[in-house]
Amino acid sequence: MNELLSPAFGQSDLPVRLQKMDASELNTLEFGVIGFDADTHVSRYNNHESKMTALSPQRVLGKPLFTDVAICMNNFLVAQRFEDAAAEGSALDATIDYVLTLRMRPAKVKLRLLAEPGATVRYVLVLRPS
Amino acid sequence: MDPVEADVGEELEALIQFMYLAPVGLAQTDLDGEISMANPLSAQLLMPLSRNGELTNLYTALEGVAPDLRHLVAAFKPESGMVCQAMQLQISAGVRGKSDPKMMSLTLIKLDATQLMAVLTDVTQQVKRERLLRQNEAWFHAVFTGITDYALVRLDRLGRVDAWNESIGRVTGFDAAAVVGQPYSVFYPDEATTPDRLLDRLHEATENGWSLDEGWRSRADGTRYRGSALISPLQERPGTPLPGPSPAGDDDEISYCLVIRDITDKREASERMRLTHASDHLTGIANRRTFFEAAEIELTRWRRQPRPLSLVLLDADHFKAVNDQHGHAAGDAVLRDLAATLTASFRDVDVVARVGGEEFAVLLPSTAAAAALAVADRALAAISARHVEFDGARIAYSVSGGVAAMDEGVTGLDALMKRADEALCVAKKAGRNRIAIWEPR
Repeated sequence: MNELLSPAFGQSDLPVRLQKMDASELNTLEFGVIGFDADTHVSRYNNHESKMTALSPQRVLGKPLFTDVAICMNNFLVAQRFEDAAAEGSALDATIDYVLTLRMRPAKVKLRLLAEPGATVRYVLVLRPS
Repeated sequence: MDPVEADVGEELEALIQFMYLAPVGLAQTDLDGEISMANPLSAQLLMPLSRNGELTNLYTALEGVAPDLRHLVAAFKPESGMVCQAMQLQISAGVRGKSDPKMMSLTLIKLDATQLMAVLTDVTQQVKRERLLRQNEAWFHAVFTGITDYALVRLDRLGRVDAWNESIGRVTGFDAAAVVGQPYSVFYPDEATTPDRLLDRLHEATENGWSLDEGWRSRADGTRYRGSALISPLQERPGTPLPGPSPAGDDDEISYCLVIRDITDKREASERMRLTHASDHLTGIANRRTFFEAAEIELTRWRRQPRPLSLVLLDADHFKAVNDQHGHAAGDAVLRDLAATLTASFRDVDVVARVGGEEFAVLLPSTAAAAALAVADRALAAISARHVEFDGARIAYSVSGGVAAMDEGVTGLDALMKRADEALCVAKKAGRNRIAIWEPR
């Protein structure tokens, strides 16, 4: 697949590129994308993520991420880092190993946590090693 | 057509979302703890505890806070049923004034010969309320049960017996001359209490209206029995002076009533219930939760009136090698022997607990670091003289330990444990089989 069309999970300019991508472009990505606003309400949810979790976007969009969508991330390993970055007004770009319970099956994943000060959308990216 | 809609039926999707959002943690495992299914809340609760960053085995994920789960399941013989119900696990000690001690509740249900269902809940808030309730229950229990079998003792403000009556002789075997004017520790075996503890209980009785403890008591002839001791103030008024030395003339300001009951008979049934919650399943000594509770009470006393208070953390050396070489059952025998040796080495008033897989903690009230080090060194010597006979093998083992004492620079239990742990690391690095004392860097 063309690198220009489909950026990779670990790519350094991904934060900038994500902000510019529309919904159909997000759907071409080979990893899960969850975008959420300042109130943690989910504003973006791509097809890949939707397939992994078996939840269609309309069940998820507009819901608070850490309490109603991905409650497994509501601890100091994930949610706290977004809160801390917001409180300090600093940028967050961290990749961590994590376990998600996709369709109730524990699965090792890599999470990339992205937050830019001033940006309206923050992201959790989910890569499930094949 | 939306690919997801085609993939998963509407109802199935709703069911999955229901499981995703369930406000309790659910996990299904085999009898070895291998997780086959888990919902997000269980991941939320377990991931911060997991030392290897994985969520493949429930026993491994909970090892740091519930080291005896595997045994609990192995010891449960029925084909199916409740292995443990709402067992409370202490996750963190909490930070005074900032966060409460974090508590998790675990229920394990054996579904059949191969499967377990685990239910996990965060019960941090409930536990506070429950503690109060349990104390109330204990109080009613002490006051209203077996009322024929008690000694009623009047104490002065310093905890000295100030009058004689027949009930004291009946329960304890002492005569008037032996007890009047003596501190009430005369009813306790040596090393089961300290002068500080004596005053702590009086203070707590003044503050809360009562103070209750259960444990060993001794009679005049030196024999021991299990007793409960309830202390309540006889005069309460605003501005009552605290127990402790006071200007002359104030000695009659307040007095206390001490009710001692012999609970030996009642012990078996109720004690077994209490012990299953308070004790470690494998070793029978205090579990992690009991340790944290006792330590929190000691720290509260320390803050009210600072006095020496020490903590010893111990870790079995090369324990993995013992398991690898002789098998887990042999490792268990070593842990039991270690727990028994520690219990014998420390005083009754010290709290000896298993706080992790091969980690033990001892809390020593009214003991400065140097004295704690001396006792820990004696325990170390006792341990290195021991062998565990298992399956024809003679297994020698050793421990390393770290000692830390409470001072103004220690913010709470977590900080005290961190210091002891740092000292423990020093002992390990220096070659193991030794005790190190914490020193500022």
